[in-house]
Amino acid sequence: MKRLANNFLQEIPFLCSMPAIAWQIFFMVAPVGIIFYFSLMRPGFIVTLDHYRGLLHTSYFLIIFRSLLLATLMAFTAFFLAYPVAYFIAMRAKKYKTVLLFFLTLPFWVNFLVQIYAWYFLLERNGLINKLLLTIGIIQEPLMLSSSLFAIFLVMVYCYLPFMIMPLYNMLEKIDPRLLEASSDLGATPWQTFYRVTFPLSLPGVKTGLLLVMIPAFGEFVIPSLLGGGKNMLVGTLISYFFLVARNNASGAAFTCLSALALLLTVILFYAVSRLWVVSKIVERK
Amino acid sequence: MKDIVLKNVSKNYNGEPVLEDITLSIPGGQFFALLGPSGSGKTTILRLIGGFEKPTEGEIYLGDKNITDIPINERKVNTVFQQYALFPHMDVFDNVAYSLSIRGVASDEIEKRVQKVLRAVGLEKFIYKGIGHLSGGQQQRVALARTIINEPDVLLLDEPLAALDLKLRERMLIELIELQSTLKTTFVYVTHDQFEALTVADTMAIMNEDGDIEQIGTPKEIYEFPVSSFVAKFVGSTNILEGTIKKGAHGSQVEIKNLGTFEVAVPESKQWIKDESRVLLSIRPEKIEIRKSLVEGFSNKWLGIVEAIVYHGRSTQYNVRLKNDQIIQVFEQNEEHFEREVIDYDDQVYLYWQKENVVLLDR
Repeated sequence: MKRLANNFLQEIPFLCSMPAIAWQIFFMVAPVGIIFYFSLMRPGFIVTLDHYRGLLHTSYFLIIFRSLLLATLMAFTAFFLAYPVAYFIAMRAKKYKTVLLFFLTLPFWVNFLVQIYAWYFLLERNGLINKLLLTIGIIQEPLMLSSSLFAIFLVMVYCYLPFMIMPLYNMLEKIDPRLLEASSDLGATPWQTFYRVTFPLSLPGVKTGLLLVMIPAFGEFVIPSLLGGGKNMLVGTLISYFFLVARNNASGAAFTCLSALALLLTVILFYAVSRLWVVSKIVERK
Repeated sequence: MKDIVLKNVSKNYNGEPVLEDITLSIPGGQFFALLGPSGSGKTTILRLIGGFEKPTEGEIYLGDKNITDIPINERKVNTVFQQYALFPHMDVFDNVAYSLSIRGVASDEIEKRVQKVLRAVGLEKFIYKGIGHLSGGQQQRVALARTIINEPDVLLLDEPLAALDLKLRERMLIELIELQSTLKTTFVYVTHDQFEALTVADTMAIMNEDGDIEQIGTPKEIYEFPVSSFVAKFVGSTNILEGTIKKGAHGSQVEIKNLGTFEVAVPESKQWIKDESRVLLSIRPEKIEIRKSLVEGFSNKWLGIVEAIVYHGRSTQYNVRLKNDQIIQVFEQNEEHFEREVIDYDDQVYLYWQKENVVLLDR
């Protein structure tokens, strides 16, 4: 009896994690499974690749390619913008750290859709930006800011920036300042210290940040559908079109699986390249 | 062999003075120890010499050169940090080669010098090991190797052994002494541990809580002839008593209230000691002989009651209460060559001491 009680006590951590695991299974694993099932099934429970065959068209691949390119470009832009901010907050802000981190979370206090509409009004033909530029006299004709890939790109960078700053900040903040002192003590200039010590030590944060931004950006559909003006088809918008407008669940499911595969391959490619780079550096030395 | 000279150096942190008007000369080519309690500013002095901080006022010289405004990366001064501060993303080789590769030394030259310096600290087998796979002592050696490969004029060591256990610490102390005598580099060693300072130093400086330097001298001078009761108490253990000097035809005596009058030797150098001067007497516990019986040949004796006995292994400590209620510490070596009288709690004992072994202090 006592042993039984002991065994039970040992399993308490596992039991506590059950709700979360169940949640993940019901709302993550199961839906993914269902989508995959849809993509392979024909009425009458027959396995088929027809839905995939139907997608063998350049325009679909172009959409996947365009989304990948946009997500990658966006992630790296966000990275270049975020790094100095994260560096400043982690290394230089000292007692203003908490205040600055709080400011970083401020956009989340405003509803996501409200933010996007705000951008829409800023960017539209008669929007604030166009009016300002016209008044100053930089432009004669209002610019087509909204309903463009540029607008999608801009607002995506805006929305995803905090998700890049946070992991970078986390890694930079953990760096022992004595390492930087040791580096300059051993003769390194501030710039040498940065690329030999600070940046390499922040690399895990860079990887996390890039993934955290690239993956959701690839499938983003709210921003493109509200600011893309319907003409710049991306993966997210096409999937929602298949399911919500065309009501073609099978093709939608197949396209979803196909684009997920493309994303996975891209991430693996990035990972392989970064590994190769590190390995080549080690091989070169020995 | 360049001397380090601090001239009227002050340092404030956020308006709080840590060091005030410090003038200190560290002789080149020596093992110099800076000993003081925590908060005495000894690490600040190290950081000023290293270039991590700029003095609020004053100048720092290395040899004839004023280095006050020379940036840290251009000083031929290197530091071994308390927690080593090794680069965790590099292996032993890269850590040790760091300063050379920064300066763009050719890679075969780097290879040769890293091998050589790792052999000197006994780590040649660990050359491609990651830092996380090394023990504390090995990390300490990597930290040393990383700095001496640079052949600095001065090596600063900031409590470098604080994280090691006692046995390893004793071994590293010996290795440091040997390393310094081979390299002939000036070592500045900061510690709050009097044992470490006494062991390694050719010359040592004692700092007090206010950031002033109390005394500079060889370990023996500091231990045997402290200039203040602070130094006497901080370096080793001591008994401090208050008394009044009585100068007579047959030498000097000191009168201690409620205890009596005792013979003391006033050295020529202590001109400030006059008749009726108030003085502090410092007498080390090991310079007192404790006996139950009467012994001839000592200049002075006190009578007291044993209050506590603490066995330390190589010695035994007795706390003895005197007539004036002062507790006196006595250390007796446990050499046990011959059978000795057994001293127990509450025994009445005589404490014998020689007049030459008491140090007279003014503060």
